Amino acid sequence: MTTHRHSSSIRRNRANSTSKKERSGLTLGEAVDILKAEDVVPADDPGTCLTGCFAADLMSDVLAFARQDSLLVTGLTTDQTVRTAAIMHLAAVVIVEGKRTASEMVEAAREELIPIYRTPLSKYEACGLLLQAGLRPYRRGVPSPQQHR
Amino acid sequence: MDEAASVHHEFPILGRAYFLGGRASTSMKRALREANVDESTIRRVSVSCYEAEMNVVLHARSGYVVVDIYSDRVEIRVADQGPGIEDIELAMTPGWSSAPEEARALGFGAGMGLPNIKGQADEMGIESTQGEGVRLHLVFMREGVSDE
Repeated sequence: MTTHRHSSSIRRNRANSTSKKERSGLTLGEAVDILKAEDVVPADDPGTCLTGCFAADLMSDVLAFARQDSLLVTGLTTDQTVRTAAIMHLAAVVIVEGKRTASEMVEAAREELIPIYRTPLSKYEACGLLLQAGLRPYRRGVPSPQQHR
Repeated sequence: MDEAASVHHEFPILGRAYFLGGRASTSMKRALREANVDESTIRRVSVSCYEAEMNVVLHARSGYVVVDIYSDRVEIRVADQGPGIEDIELAMTPGWSSAPEEARALGFGAGMGLPNIKGQADEMGIESTQGEGVRLHLVFMREGVSDE
C-alpha cells in the first residue's frame, strides 16, 4: 500500500547523477516496491538509479563509510538522518519498523531535498530483500558495482 | 600561495539545540557549492564540519564555524565556549566517547567524531582549554576547480 501523504515531491538537482555504468541494477522505485514502503516525502523521479545501499543507525558510520547516491536504511528518525543524507549526497532514506517521523524531520527533508520512505519491515529484513534483489553494499573499501562484473 | 580568501562565511552553532544540529554544516555545504568547489572536497569538508558541529551541539554552550575558501584549499575553524576536552589524545581514539546519552539518540556519540575528522582533513589542529572551550583548525587541499 502506498499512500501519498504530501503533495510535494522531491526533485533532485545534482550535477553528477548516477550514470548507467554505475547503477546497481535497482531504481529507487523498485527498492521502494520491494520494501513495501510508503511515501513520507516522495522522490520526484523514482527512476533514479541506486549505486548501492548502506544501513546504520549511527550517523557517524554513515559519514565515515557510506557513498554518494546510495540508499540509507535506518531506524533513526531525527533531523540528523536527513542532514547526514544531504551531507553525503545519498539518494533517499528508508525508515524501518514503520516508525513515525516527526514533522521537523519531514520539513528538513523538503529543505534538503532528501526523499523519505517508511517500511514496516525490520532493518534486517529490508537489507536482506534488497541484497537478494541485487542492490549491492556500497561503501568505502568495497569495490564499486562495475568492478564486481 | 594565494593568501586572499575568495569566500568567507561564518555560521553560529547553538549548544544543546539538538534539533538544529547539522544546519550550519548543510548551509556551509551550499556555500561551498556556490563557490564552485569540487564535489570531493565539498564532501570531505562537509563531513568534518558536521562531526565538529555535533561536538559543539552535544558538549558546549555555543560556538561558530568559519569557512575560508582559497584557490588551492578550504580552511575551517570551529570554536566553542564549553568545558573543553580533558584528554585530546584519548578523544582521538576511535570508540572513546564522553558524549551524553542524548547523543546516541541523534545517531552520534559513538566516539567516531574526531577520528572521522582526522581521516578527512589534510591538516588538523586542535587546542583545548579546560573550562573555556575547544578550537579546531582544519585544512583541505582542493582536488580541482569545478567546471560548472
